[in-house]
Amino acid sequence: MSAGRRLAFALALLGLGLALVAAVSLFVGSAALSPGAVARALAGRAGVESVESVVTLQLRLPRVLAAALAGGALAVAGVAFQGLTRNPLAEPAVLGVSSGAAFGVVVAQIFGLGLSVLDALGVASFAFAGALLAAGGVYVIAVMPGGLSIQTLLLAGVIVGIFFTSAITVLISLVDFNRLGGVVHWLLGNLTPIPTASLVLFAALALAGFWLILRHARELNLLALGEEAAVQLGVDTERLKRRVFVAAALLTGTVVAFTGPIGFVGLVVPHLLRGVLGQDNRLLVPTALLGGGIFLLAADTLARNVVAPAELSVGVITSFCGAPVFVYLLRSRYRAAL
Amino acid sequence: MIRLVAVAVALTALASAWPARALTVRDMLGREVSLPALPTRIVSLVPHVTETIFALGAEDRLVGRTDFCEYPAAARGKPSVGGMVNPSLEALVALKPDLVVATDEGNREETFQQLARLHIPTYLVHATRLSALRDMIARLGDLTGHRAAVAPLTVALTRRVEDVRRLVAPFPRPRVLYVIWPEPLIVPGRPSLLTELIEVAGGESVTGGESQPYVRFSVEAAVARAPQVIVLADHSAGTSSTAGRPAPEQWQRFSSVPAIRAGRLHSVDLSILHRYGPSVVEGLESLARVIHPEAFR
Repeated sequence: MSAGRRLAFALALLGLGLALVAAVSLFVGSAALSPGAVARALAGRAGVESVESVVTLQLRLPRVLAAALAGGALAVAGVAFQGLTRNPLAEPAVLGVSSGAAFGVVVAQIFGLGLSVLDALGVASFAFAGALLAAGGVYVIAVMPGGLSIQTLLLAGVIVGIFFTSAITVLISLVDFNRLGGVVHWLLGNLTPIPTASLVLFAALALAGFWLILRHARELNLLALGEEAAVQLGVDTERLKRRVFVAAALLTGTVVAFTGPIGFVGLVVPHLLRGVLGQDNRLLVPTALLGGGIFLLAADTLARNVVAPAELSVGVITSFCGAPVFVYLLRSRYRAAL
Repeated sequence: MIRLVAVAVALTALASAWPARALTVRDMLGREVSLPALPTRIVSLVPHVTETIFALGAEDRLVGRTDFCEYPAAARGKPSVGGMVNPSLEALVALKPDLVVATDEGNREETFQQLARLHIPTYLVHATRLSALRDMIARLGDLTGHRAAVAPLTVALTRRVEDVRRLVAPFPRPRVLYVIWPEPLIVPGRPSLLTELIEVAGGESVTGGESQPYVRFSVEAAVARAPQVIVLADHSAGTSSTAGRPAPEQWQRFSSVPAIRAGRLHSVDLSILHRYGPSVVEGLESLARVIHPEAFR
């Protein structure tokens, strides 16, 4: 099968999967609506103020959309960081970039930015700046003559992540101690229904990051051959790295601004896709967008239902799935390198 | 004249047939809350609000609670919407509440914002003083239309509080260290109701000057303030969990501390004291017995 047809086939399959998971997610929840009631609400045949309408259209639907978007964005950011560092363990949370973005969000909140669209744009900007700062920090710590080694990169990520997480706690303790409990909860990563206007902004920022990375997917393939080889094949590697770096930070910052830091989506999804599709970033980037959506949506559906009526933080579930995958990758692929 | 009477009768009939009037109230944080009518379907996100609504006899207006609303036992018969920090919005909406009562101490700002977006009126309570507690009972009586039940509750509360004050008044006030949580050490500060309760119970909280309601405190600072009575709150009563179980041995080693020398280290199940509803007075009385056993002989 040609690459184009494989991509079309994979996208069709993943699209179907996403639609299926979204449907399940819309029909289950602690309000225990009957399938008929949900269908009526979706068809617009239920009263605007009715419980089924409010629960389905104002709570579940925006949350399903947010989950699909956030998951897709995180998975694409994962592919980008992995391509950039030539290391399949790189991922926004593992690299500490999510923590940097979370720090940005907390600073924005201290400045009084809230939930309106304009405020959301401000929060996202702070998160983006935080993500850039953290990613830059990791790079500066880990870079050595001859490139980035796996160990130093991972250690740098862990250290930067811990640093920013502690910085958040220090900041909140000093400024707004009463909110500490709420912030600790937020740091676990939670999806909530996002207002439509903010959701549109979320989608626009995420798609901008996605587009930027997709455009450089071919060059990322060449970078995988090694920096010198890529240069010889006509790639402006410095410009490529800069752009992908900014795009991945944008994706991470956006997700953290709207949902809080959610870990390991960018690790699990690209890993599974590579197992099926191989190493070609031109296939991985678009499929990660849909695959990440499926993964996070499925995780959030679990989060909403396992301890109902209380809710689990979705980040807890993704980390629970992601940590074993991380260990597997570390042990199987990198035994030689370590 | 007859016409006038007829008009008056018609007006009276109209007034009584008029659907309950819309009202705007201010909650305990001074926020305006607009209600189309007196609420009949209340969801409480606060354990002591749930308890107060039951105490007022207004439980028929309560349609939902949290997992932590366990008092009185009948409260468990109401459907729960989840935890205080992580309630399920859809479980909440499914109960069709016309009012959610919440607090800025324990619920999250994000939850309030989501409720506002769903146009569900939210009334915030904040009761960290006995006077505020009485105010909260009165406000909940107004909100539930059970105004008549308020006075018996608050009068009894005030009387029992004054009884405690009177009983302990003749005795010197010992310095009390109250341990809310053993590891890490958490103690009540000035804005905490516990600090006021210790005072009423005839003690002087050694951490009562701290500006936060709940303070992570260092053991050495606690010891340095030479408490004459140490009260360890036992959270583990009725559970097999070791979390929050008091660790008296941790304090026994400080033999130079007056409380330890005098054998005044008490570990008490104070789950009642940490319930800031009308029954808080029962906790207050048990606290007074611990601080001033001589007053209750």
